[in-house]
Amino acid sequence: MDYNFHWRPVFKALPDLLQAALLTLEVAAISMILGVLIGLGLSLIRIHMKGPVMWLASIWVELARNTPALLQLFFFGFGLGAFGIHFSPYLIVLMGLTFNNAGYLAENFRGGFGAVPDTQIRAARSLGMTAFQTYTRIVIPQVLRIVYYPMTNQMVWAVLMSSLGMLVGFRELSGETQFFASRTFRIFEYFAVTAVIYYIIVKIILGASRLLAMRLFRY
Amino acid sequence: MQPTETFFSGFAPHDLWFLGEAALRTLWLSLLAISIGSMIGVVFGWLLSVSRIGGGFVLSPLLDIFRSVPLIIQLVLFYNFAPIIGLRLDAFDAGLIVLIVYTSANVAYVARGGIEAVSQPMRRAARSLGMTYWQDMRYVVWPIGLRAVFPAWVGVALGVMKDSALVSVLGYVELLKASQILITRTQETILILAIAGAFYFALSYPISLYAAHLEDRWNQ
Amino acid sequence: MRLISKTLTTSITAAALLLSVGSASADKLDDVIDEGVLRCGVVLDFPPIGYRDSNNEPAGFDVDYCKDLAKALDVKFEILPLTWAERLPVIVTNRADVVFGATSDSLERAKTVGFTIPYAIYYAQAVVGAKSGIKTVEDMRNKKVAAAIGTVPEQEWLKLAKKWGVEGNYQGYQSENEVFLAVAQGKADAGITTNTTVLPITQQYDTVIAGPRMPWGTDYTSVVGKRTDVTWLNYLNLFITHQVRSGRYAELWGKYVGGEAPALVIPGVLY
Repeated sequence: MDYNFHWRPVFKALPDLLQAALLTLEVAAISMILGVLIGLGLSLIRIHMKGPVMWLASIWVELARNTPALLQLFFFGFGLGAFGIHFSPYLIVLMGLTFNNAGYLAENFRGGFGAVPDTQIRAARSLGMTAFQTYTRIVIPQVLRIVYYPMTNQMVWAVLMSSLGMLVGFRELSGETQFFASRTFRIFEYFAVTAVIYYIIVKIILGASRLLAMRLFRY
Repeated sequence: MQPTETFFSGFAPHDLWFLGEAALRTLWLSLLAISIGSMIGVVFGWLLSVSRIGGGFVLSPLLDIFRSVPLIIQLVLFYNFAPIIGLRLDAFDAGLIVLIVYTSANVAYVARGGIEAVSQPMRRAARSLGMTYWQDMRYVVWPIGLRAVFPAWVGVALGVMKDSALVSVLGYVELLKASQILITRTQETILILAIAGAFYFALSYPISLYAAHLEDRWNQ
Repeated sequence: MRLISKTLTTSITAAALLLSVGSASADKLDDVIDEGVLRCGVVLDFPPIGYRDSNNEPAGFDVDYCKDLAKALDVKFEILPLTWAERLPVIVTNRADVVFGATSDSLERAKTVGFTIPYAIYYAQAVVGAKSGIKTVEDMRNKKVAAAIGTVPEQEWLKLAKKWGVEGNYQGYQSENEVFLAVAQGKADAGITTNTTVLPITQQYDTVIAGPRMPWGTDYTSVVGKRTDVTWLNYLNLFITHQVRSGRYAELWGKYVGGEAPALVIPGVLY
């Protein structure tokens, strides 16, 4: 073996890497919140509506699920750029992740809505609840419970997917790592440390989700 | 004095051929990764289901790493690590190996789910009919478990097909890399992104529809 | 008869011994000749020095230099397309034997890889959007400025930007071509590149014009090899001088860049 590992510069950069890890978490979390809201909307449209609106929602969902996430990011970057529409790398990644999350979550929600029996909705309406009340108080809580684990997975997926930011110039954890690695040429050492940071982030998310589930679904 | 060469040129018909070749490379890379990775993954899944210590405490955390670190980081790490230990791998080899490991880690949990989806009473019944362990695996667990997790497996396989686009970061000219090359040469950004997207979509969408159709039929 | 066979055995043993000694102390030069393949790392998004022609095949000044070197060694060549940031790692991890990639010979980089004498000389220049209104470097202060990740222009610009407190306006891209695309689309107001690239880029994009020369020194670029392979670097040095002496350097420069090839000398330095 003809290679000397240099770890010192990596540890010197560690505070910057951790700072960038926060940015990773931030963009993943925001894209998740937006993804849940839009995903809910898309699934309701696909269930209840017909015509062009329903078609648009379906196109969104199927494109998000059937093309590579990286291609989606390129589209929000140079693709929209061709029309003279420009966003910062942060927004490109945020929009790409949101687009993707919403598509996948919409399918999960659709499955969740399908699992709530119609009889419950009729019962709620016959008790005098409005349609809105029925949805927010009866249906959605149950759906959220059904899609809770898929949602956790999607959050993990969003964190992992945000690493593609490095290819569109976004300095989240991977982008920052690449930036440092490109100055000291120690690609392996930097990315090894970054891999460990991702692993820890994912474990923290899964752990937090389990704790939250214990509180939320106690009954 | 002007240089005698020209450096850029528009999108020409033979560029479609260039994209087509790259698409075939994407297809070949994904097929290899999915088939080899799935076979290894099924063995891993079986190990996970039968061995509490070997599977649960050794194999599972190991496989978990590949599901908790972004694929792009795995690719960059392995591609830069292989030469350090003296392996001469080109971008295709390195990408394929990482994709195989990634696939097998994901398939392992799907396969374990499939094995555990077959109820214990049914398996005891099979054994009490005189089936050997492997006969039970082959004629009871395999068909029932496969039905239970087939959609999940299709999901993993399609995911790997789409994720194979990331091998482009190693410089391997698969579909996405070919698109990037053409975009910077011809600036037909939208046209080329659309062609590449259409290819992935045309591959992924029918398969996912078919899987959903099968799932519906089996659930009836 | 016995004598002959004995001589034969002795000579075979001696030859085998020699061979094994030879391979034990073989240097990179021997390795390349033995394997019959020269693996060149080249950056292909740097017209006219490295680019893909209309058939999407590698072409350009650096690519021809690789071919010439392979010819001198009487071996085949392999072009390994690189991003800017990969130029040094491919040498460190031995994925390429040599990098022709307009690599500036900084002392920082020389801690990691070995450099030859300069084989091409550039200076940094900006390309700017036609409507950006940028005339001088000072004009770039509050504009969105792009460069490729892992390049000297990136580092020099970030130094300047830090002094001005405008680092937030910087955009780093994977490749130089993406930088040009960003300027052409208007994502960035200016992109920093090298003087040789300005002409093809401004011809290519209507919306991009030549910008100011950047306020840092001349870029002496070297061929890169493994730091410890001194004999290999010696050979590469000789190759570079031969390219000049044979007129090949001037010929390729004229073909790809146009105009007179700059003399490969550092004023006031003897090396």
